[in-house]
Amino acid sequence: MIKIFFLILLAEIWGITGQILYKKSANSAEMPDLRSIRSYFKFMKSVFSMPALWLGFACIFMGLVTFLFALAQTDLSIAFPIDSMQYIVALVASHFFLGEKITKYKLAGTLLVMAGVLLVAMS
Amino acid sequence: MRKNHLTLNMFLLIVMTDIGESIAQTFLKKGLNLTGITSITFANIGEFLSAAASSYFVWLGMLVFLLNFFLWMAVLSRIDLSVAFPVGSTSYIFVPILAMVFLHETLNPLRWMGIALIILGIHFVSKSTRADIKETAKA
Repeated sequence: MIKIFFLILLAEIWGITGQILYKKSANSAEMPDLRSIRSYFKFMKSVFSMPALWLGFACIFMGLVTFLFALAQTDLSIAFPIDSMQYIVALVASHFFLGEKITKYKLAGTLLVMAGVLLVAMS
Repeated sequence: MRKNHLTLNMFLLIVMTDIGESIAQTFLKKGLNLTGITSITFANIGEFLSAAASSYFVWLGMLVFLLNFFLWMAVLSRIDLSVAFPVGSTSYIFVPILAMVFLHETLNPLRWMGIALIILGIHFVSKSTRADIKETAKA
C-alpha cells in the first residue's frame, strides 16, 4: 500500500510538471480564437515549436508509465482516490511556477473537490 | 497569467477531456489486466513492458490520450491551470461508472456524496474566476 502511495505521488509529480510546462507553452503563444479552426491550428503550431511543450510531453509520458506500474498492482477504484493529492499539489505548483492567484473560493473549491474524491475512495 | 472567466463552453470542453481521459484509462487498465501480470518487480519489468506494448488496448488508450491533448491545449489557451485542474475532476463521475460497466468493479452508494462534494467544489472554483474578474475590473 505504501509502495502504491509513493508510486502514485511520483506519477503526480511527473504529471504536474508536465502540465506546468504545457501551460507555460500555452501562455507564451498568442491566445487563439477558439471559434476559428485556423486560429486554433496557428496556436497549436506555435506551441509545438516550443521546447517546453516537448519536455512537458516527456514528463506526462513518464507520469503515465509510473501510473501504469501502480495500476498493474491495484484497482482503478484504489489508485484514483490516492490520486486526489494531485489537486492541492497542482494548486500550489500553479501559484509558485505560473503566478496564478490562490483566492478563497479557489482554495475552498479545490479542497471540496479533494474531499469528494477522498470520499469516493473510502466508499 | 490569463484571467479568463470559466464560460459554459470552456466547462464543456473540460468535461470532454475528462470523458476522453476516462475512456483512455479504462482501455489501459483493461489492457494491463489482460497481460495477467499482477505484481511488478525489477525482475519482470521487461516482461511487463513488452506485454503492455503488445496489447491493443494499451495502444488504443495511448491514442485517446494523444487526441485528448489537443482538446486540453485549447482549454489551457485561456483557462488558468489552477482552475482547469480541479474542474477536470468530473472524470471521478465517469471512471467509476465505466469501471463498473467494463471491468465489473463494484460501486458503493456513498460515492454519490463524494460526487456531490466534487460538484460543489467545481462550482466554487468556477466562482473564483468570476471574483477574479470583478477584482481586476475594480483595480
